[in-house]
Amino acid sequence: MFVSGEATILHADLDAFFASVEQRDDPRLRGRSVIVGGGVVLAASYEAKAYGIHSAMGGRQARRLCPRAIVVEPRFSVYAEASKAVYRVFDDTTPLVEGLSIDEAFLDVRGLRRLAGTPAEIAARLKRNVLERVGLPITVGVARTKFLAKVASGVAKPDGLLVVPPDRELAFLHPLGVERLWGVGPVTAQKLRSRGITTVGQVARLDEAVLVSMLGRAAGRHLHALAHNRDPRPVHVGRRRGSIGSQRALGRRPKTAEAVDAVLVGLVDRVTRRMRAAGRIGRTVVLRLRFDDFSRATRSHTLPFGTAHTQTVLATARGLLAVSMPMIERKGVTLVGVAVANLQNDVPAQLVLPFDRSSGSALDAALDEVRARFGPTAITRAVLLGRDQGLTMPLLPD
Amino acid sequence: MKITVRRDDLVQRLAVVSRAVSTRATVQILSGILLRSAGDDLQLAATDMELSLRTTVPAQIEGDGAVVVPGRRLVELAKLLPSEEVEIEHRPEESVVHVTSGSASYTLHTYNAEDFPRLPELDAVTTFTVDREALLETVNRVARSASRDESRPVLTGILARFEAGKLVMAATDSYRLSVKETELGGQVPELEAIIPARALQELTRIAQSGDEVELGVHENQVVFSVDGIAMTTRRIDGQFPNYRQLLPESFEHELALPRNELLDVVRRAAVMIERTSPLQLRFAEGELTVTARTHEVGESKESLPAPFTGDPLEIGFNADFLRDGLESVTGDEVRFKLISPLRPAVLQGESDDFTYLVMPIRLPG
Repeated sequence: MFVSGEATILHADLDAFFASVEQRDDPRLRGRSVIVGGGVVLAASYEAKAYGIHSAMGGRQARRLCPRAIVVEPRFSVYAEASKAVYRVFDDTTPLVEGLSIDEAFLDVRGLRRLAGTPAEIAARLKRNVLERVGLPITVGVARTKFLAKVASGVAKPDGLLVVPPDRELAFLHPLGVERLWGVGPVTAQKLRSRGITTVGQVARLDEAVLVSMLGRAAGRHLHALAHNRDPRPVHVGRRRGSIGSQRALGRRPKTAEAVDAVLVGLVDRVTRRMRAAGRIGRTVVLRLRFDDFSRATRSHTLPFGTAHTQTVLATARGLLAVSMPMIERKGVTLVGVAVANLQNDVPAQLVLPFDRSSGSALDAALDEVRARFGPTAITRAVLLGRDQGLTMPLLPD
Repeated sequence: MKITVRRDDLVQRLAVVSRAVSTRATVQILSGILLRSAGDDLQLAATDMELSLRTTVPAQIEGDGAVVVPGRRLVELAKLLPSEEVEIEHRPEESVVHVTSGSASYTLHTYNAEDFPRLPELDAVTTFTVDREALLETVNRVARSASRDESRPVLTGILARFEAGKLVMAATDSYRLSVKETELGGQVPELEAIIPARALQELTRIAQSGDEVELGVHENQVVFSVDGIAMTTRRIDGQFPNYRQLLPESFEHELALPRNELLDVVRRAAVMIERTSPLQLRFAEGELTVTARTHEVGESKESLPAPFTGDPLEIGFNADFLRDGLESVTGDEVRFKLISPLRPAVLQGESDDFTYLVMPIRLPG
């Protein structure tokens, strides 16, 4: 694959995204330690991060580290709106945008020099535009490869801009800690550290075979390539995340099968609506369950064709739930999640027969329209009336 | 129990029942074939719990008994036996059967016949007769629209409805629907059941001769008898989609096309596409152009004359679905009925007794 000789790839990553949105919307939170999420920490402002608080940490531990931190409930619809606005800035910057998640993306600005200036100038303008138009700080790393651009933004955070010139790549990379390498988590870092390897430069000096014997074939090769700054992947327009999902915690009291089904219906409604809004269809329906004893189960089924049709996804999810019912009865369910994976764009899409008049794609489209205009709760199913839909959140990785 | 039987009779009948032998290894005894003495007949039976098959072979039998023998093994070796006569001796105390034929002898370990699932009693079922060819034809015309996706069991079945003077079968995998009406002579009771498509397809393979098929429904089982073979299958519970409301009442376009020619065009184009990529049909004044384009493979394009008038219409179809439809209608001409690019299309042949409804693929742009 062609890798440009020039640093034209931008990795743009919103800083402490959820927490920054909260600080943007409530002036009293600015400059203070903010934790989003009362249970598990979903996001922490940089002021809170200074106390060692990080996302996915338990709420109790976080409050112990910083008793004065302000805890706020997450507002996902606001974050989704902010994310959309930021993506509009991305799209105005270059046609080559590869979204990675709600708060980060790769942008390739190759060929825009005469129109828009150097990559560094474009990156600076991007930061300015995101701040002016959405009111959020964003960090941008600029480099010749995606990997280096991502490393650069990681180093430059928060609210930073770092350009890695092509002739300074190894000089930039090698002094960094191994944790900066993409794919190195705590476990791999520990394996390397136990052998006295702490910097990328040290990894680069090892033979690929040695790394493979330490970390396994895939990880070993991956790290060897990254440490030598080999990353030929181009920016893929529109290749977004691999799944769209939603989950809901149910509390520990016993629930009837109907109540669990109602939760499932609500989740499927929400997930398929988001898929349609994003112009995505998917083939694999995934049901995630967590039980009273904190054990988890994941069931999935792959359909012959991708779909974002509510009734089709619901029928499949119900099938998965039925198979899991004995386990639910035995162990008690505390969380239900639905995701649709194996995503692709919704054209071309095999259409589905409208089995009953009230379930066709036309109905999905009409409901989407009402919800887009009057809000997600403007219209609901009878089965969900009077049921607290509670806090549903975008599915987080396990 | 000691059974003497003609090899060719045994091989032929084992081939029939072995179609119900379970291929899943979870319950061992279901991989076996039950042999049971019944006067001058040897009864053979097999089941995978969804489907059961029973038949008999004329035999000389000394003593009574029943035993379950590993199915595949027995079928394989029976075919290869050197002599025309086969002797099967069951020795319950050793849990084995001895199979001898000419110079060859085998000892096979057996399962206990008492552990074999109880099959539905055939005598308890009231049956009626249906013309064999009419029944099989009806199955063959609709079966490929049935779903193979086990997550929605109802769609893996074929809806069979017997009513005054006719049999109606319908199958759908939610992307296409086949409906066939067949006139029946004689008296049949009114009856509706969702029958696993797999079982009905087995029936078309098994019921190679005989004029009539006996058919009956008992509780959650459907029973077929033909040519000395009894097949039972589980009836699928649930509500079959109301397919009648899926059939559009009117169409924007209705054109007669040469069926075999179009089928050839579709087959040729299908070479160029991946499983889910669409075949593009562009109807324009007097012409139909079929295009297949796949990113990684390439492109094909072919036109044929078509009696189309009005604004051009471009519609996408899954190539397999379109081919299945063109293959399931009969006659030299296919009537292609269209509404719009996102609405279902209908294929019909020379008569109205068969309808193939297919949902399009939404195309970019």
